[in-house]
Amino acid sequence: MRSYVQGPASVDESSQLPLWRRAETMDLVYVGYGLLVVALVLASYLLGALGWLPHDPQAMNVGLINAAPFTPGHLLGTDFLGRDLQARLILGIQAYFLPGLLAITISVVAGSVLGILAGYRGGWSDTIITYFDNLLDSFPRLVLILLVIASFKPDIYYVMVVVGITGMPVIANLIAGKIAFLRQTNFIEAAHALGLPAHTVILKHILWFNCRAALVIQATLGMAEAILVETSLSYLGFGVQEPTPSWGNMVQAGANYFLQGNFWPSTAPALAILATILGFQLLGDGLNNLLEGKRGK
Amino acid sequence: MDAPLLAIENLRTYFYSRARRALIRSVDGVSLHVAPGETLGIVGESGSGKSVTALSAAGLVSAAPGVIGGRIELRSRQARRNLLDGLERYVRVKERDGRIMAVEKDDRGWRRRAETLMKGVRGKEIAMIFQNPRSALNPYSTIGAQLVETIRLHTSVKGEGEARERAIQWLERVRIDSPRLRFDNFPFGMSGGMCQRAMIAMALSAEPSLLIADEPTTGLDATIQSRIVDLLAQLKIETGITTLLISHDISVIQRLADRIAVMYGGTVVETGRAAEVLAPQAQLRHPYTAALLASVPSAEAIRRKSYLQAIEGEVLDTIDVPRGCRFYGRCNRVTEAIRENCASLEPPLGEVAPGHKVRCWLYPASGKA
Repeated sequence: MRSYVQGPASVDESSQLPLWRRAETMDLVYVGYGLLVVALVLASYLLGALGWLPHDPQAMNVGLINAAPFTPGHLLGTDFLGRDLQARLILGIQAYFLPGLLAITISVVAGSVLGILAGYRGGWSDTIITYFDNLLDSFPRLVLILLVIASFKPDIYYVMVVVGITGMPVIANLIAGKIAFLRQTNFIEAAHALGLPAHTVILKHILWFNCRAALVIQATLGMAEAILVETSLSYLGFGVQEPTPSWGNMVQAGANYFLQGNFWPSTAPALAILATILGFQLLGDGLNNLLEGKRGK
Repeated sequence: MDAPLLAIENLRTYFYSRARRALIRSVDGVSLHVAPGETLGIVGESGSGKSVTALSAAGLVSAAPGVIGGRIELRSRQARRNLLDGLERYVRVKERDGRIMAVEKDDRGWRRRAETLMKGVRGKEIAMIFQNPRSALNPYSTIGAQLVETIRLHTSVKGEGEARERAIQWLERVRIDSPRLRFDNFPFGMSGGMCQRAMIAMALSAEPSLLIADEPTTGLDATIQSRIVDLLAQLKIETGITTLLISHDISVIQRLADRIAVMYGGTVVETGRAAEVLAPQAQLRHPYTAALLASVPSAEAIRRKSYLQAIEGEVLDTIDVPRGCRFYGRCNRVTEAIRENCASLEPPLGEVAPGHKVRCWLYPASGKA
């Protein structure tokens, strides 16, 4: 009997599958979890905007201080002023999200500009940017933030501007490195030979086609970083100020009662921080493997 | 001969060797003419300056000092200009005994002026294809999207859908099978030959006056190479495009070129009609051309199982350019009568037959010393 070998329907079948079918399961789990966290953050805004909170997050109930979880009416219990923990937890993320976005925007936009200057033009702009990067890298960030707070005011947006600026060097290096690599490949030269204007080559062929994945990944990691910074600052009392709830100041406030056996006022936001940072980190990691991994081979 | 579409006069493109603190005379006074509709093949070993000549014509030399002198006259329907017009004021050269010893170049001024001159020329009037086509395509974008981009940039077709149709037509014209499917392929999903076809489509889709093909078959499989050569030959008939073809492969040049320029050590050593220069029985030819031709395996040589003839010696180091003929050190046809000339004076490019010039002291027609 004769058998014919059936050739593949298309030469490059694998690259024509949708992304999610080509991916490793774990990466999908990471990204899925990360997206769930993002969805919860957005849900928090929705709930807050609609006023669908279990309680008024600012309402104190002196008769019900440090109530245990599952107290009737208070699923997660109350804090040291008798405020509902569940409501404060839901609103707590909002202390980070927009400021975090500001930090990310600053570091991605400014970092990209610096990276392009350093990588594409080279020469003295490269030297200056490298020195600037080293300067920022060598200065402890927390000290810089405290300096800014001391000279202006303890506002989370001021903090995030600093976080954004200190996050620039990473992005700038990333982009400059990418460009250094891309310039060795012929296609950037070929793009010039085809007569494409320089800004098209830079913005479209370098930044959009070749760096967007890396930038998205850096942005998610930057969000995790922003949350972590606010938490550390709250512990020093310089983070988001009471009575606005943030997970950082909730942990800090609850910590005073931790050893008296009332562990939940600080444990609940601490777990929320853990889950959220993990979510953004895994999102970045998973996206990295999904978007960058396949072409690394 | 018609008025040339591209006339390169006395082009000099030098580079600086940091390691040896000296100038590399990659292209040292090259003059070439390409008539409309004609294919001029530039042939030579690696390092003979043929690619740098092409890159200079396209304004793509980026290393310092780069192009330092000459004229590159483009006379197409849309653009008539010297692409190096007024650039000499950015360069100051220090000469000794008629040789350039040092170059001072205002790189930024030069670049700004050169970019103005190149505006609407590079990509539009002068298109280019390269070796290793896979790396010349953006790996993160489909070939269709890249083709649409050049079409919308360089032609009157501006609409997305219209440009898409035009792109598919071009994919068809370069004989890519099922162009509609290939439109959405990424370069990594395609073979090297297919990428070169896409690259050719991209270069020609701008409807340029001149196509510079810089080693278009290098880096491809042998069977694919001949397919690409076939395609270029067919496209030449179909579109009548003027081509500057650079290759170290004489068989490619033989198939495609109407005229030939043989380069050695940064200069043109022989130029003429392809049939004449490559004719097997030709007597009046430069020793270097003869050696190049002898190094190509012929069917007969393979049958006789004779060895391939390598050219003795090494490619001229264009840092230490000798006083006399550049090929003198490797030449096997030096006679006692001309030895003195060969060693001390560079021969001029003299006409040995109408339209056929050779730079060699062997031919008295090449003029007096």
